[in-house]
Amino acid sequence: MTTCVVGVGNALRGDDAAGLEVARLLDGTLPDGVHVVECEGEPVSLLSAWEGCDTAFVVDATASGREPGTVRRLSAGDGPLPPELQRASTHLLGIAEAVELARALGRLPERTIVYGIEGGCFDTGAPLSEEVRAATLEVAAAIRRELSERG
Amino acid sequence: MSSTRTIRTDYLARVEGEGGMLVRMRGDEVVDVQLRIYEPPRFFEAFLRGRQFTEAPDITARICGICPVAYQMSSSLAMESLAGVEVDGQLRALRRLLYCGEWIESHTLHVFMLHAPDFLGVPSAVELAKVDPALVETALRLKKIGNEVMRVVGGREVHPINVRVGGWYRTPSRADLERLVPDLEWAREASQQAVRVVAGLDFPELEQDYEFVALDAGGEYPIDRGARFVSSRGLDFPISEFYDHVVEEHVERSNALHARLRERGAYLVGPIARYALHRELLSPNALASAGEVGLEPVVRNPFRSIIVRAVEIVHACDEALRLIAEYEEPPAPSIEVVPRAGWGHGASEAPRGALYHRYRLDDDGTILDAKIVPPTSQNLKMIEEDLDAFVRGHTALDEEELRLRCEQSIRNYDPCISCATHFLTLDVEQE
Repeated sequence: MTTCVVGVGNALRGDDAAGLEVARLLDGTLPDGVHVVECEGEPVSLLSAWEGCDTAFVVDATASGREPGTVRRLSAGDGPLPPELQRASTHLLGIAEAVELARALGRLPERTIVYGIEGGCFDTGAPLSEEVRAATLEVAAAIRRELSERG
Repeated sequence: MSSTRTIRTDYLARVEGEGGMLVRMRGDEVVDVQLRIYEPPRFFEAFLRGRQFTEAPDITARICGICPVAYQMSSSLAMESLAGVEVDGQLRALRRLLYCGEWIESHTLHVFMLHAPDFLGVPSAVELAKVDPALVETALRLKKIGNEVMRVVGGREVHPINVRVGGWYRTPSRADLERLVPDLEWAREASQQAVRVVAGLDFPELEQDYEFVALDAGGEYPIDRGARFVSSRGLDFPISEFYDHVVEEHVERSNALHARLRERGAYLVGPIARYALHRELLSPNALASAGEVGLEPVVRNPFRSIIVRAVEIVHACDEALRLIAEYEEPPAPSIEVVPRAGWGHGASEAPRGALYHRYRLDDDGTILDAKIVPPTSQNLKMIEEDLDAFVRGHTALDEEELRLRCEQSIRNYDPCISCATHFLTLDVEQE
């Protein structure tokens, strides 16, 4: 079975690019059989990104009011993800809904880990803030460590 | 004693600002209907100033995670029209094919995952997956096929990186495209079946006297481009005259501009406008699907837009198959585009309606000014009018039902108000 790492975000919205940045840091550096995906679209695409995988790491920016750069590690197997990872609206579903959709259809990888990186500034065209940049390095290292621990 | 009812749906911005829906009633009288919306394109307009004209497709593609191709096409067309060149032949056919992929993907997401739950009495696609997993699996496969078309032609599923002003960075081989055929044939059948399924839903009553506006693409169903705008009440003007006919107004409650036709008022863009104005240009299979379920030639009940979207998926599958069958690898992936000073205009039919771009460049191709008019800001005024009319006709509904129907009314337009928003809480107030 295979593993995927999916970075979610918008490259032009400041700290919203955190997930994409982690994907870029990891791309080309991981063992064979681990594929890295950047997801700039809507999260239902996650279901095809992790198709056939038994392990998935998903990284996204959060806006929960915590300190910018705060990293949280959540296991989707433990139950629904918190509200700040929901984006369902008239127009799209959020990561939390994509996870629940996958769970309902039996398409959730056995081990699905979501890393949330709290963003501070989501302005159009803004660069990643320093705190968030540091957090992306931390999350990339954590994912590498998790992959090596499992062999 | 009269009582005042307030029905409110709050969105909290993922990024900044707030938006939502407010319906205020006193007894059976509708006092106020407001959409309060945060909309990102305005911020992108400022961001584009000072950039090179070649950057516009990549930058504007980030406005929407669901219809990046629409933004890439309208911006490229604007730059090419200013330079006096036209991307035609197979280069243009590939653009239309890419756009078909986006229509399949976007319409599928909306029809099955966002709109169908309203009609089926389930709160979301997640619940729908529990009661009708086969339907959701069909939707996932359809959507994936749309994404696959985008990946093969555009180089990536979302935010295709292969698109450039003047054409492409590289063009696919015939074999690349032919591999898509079996899936597209399956998708055509699945979407024909989808038309039957959605036509059998129960539709709330509402008939509106719309002025429909869509691009005219000269003898073909408008998708990737169009030289003129036409309306169901006789307007017919070149896209460069957009602002002679459309006024955009700041509305205090929203940082999205509301568009209206000068001296005429609200108008509607999107699937039911394209269908009303260009029905006879649909593919034979799409027309047959519409005929089979007895779809009226002009749809005035906005809730029935879900059927038209499904018919347009059939059309997009047919069109994709036709374009692939006729494809010949072009000799070069792009044509030269030499910038010059002036104003450029471009428009295409995003899944949710006409998307107009206007740029002013200086003679070295630097963007001096950008205007982006997305379909949703053109529809906002009409959405409010629909809500107003719907609530007036259904004051007897209890609050929960009325609130759900109001949300469903907004979803009739598949509005792109929320690329940047979380849907969080909802308050219903009664005084």
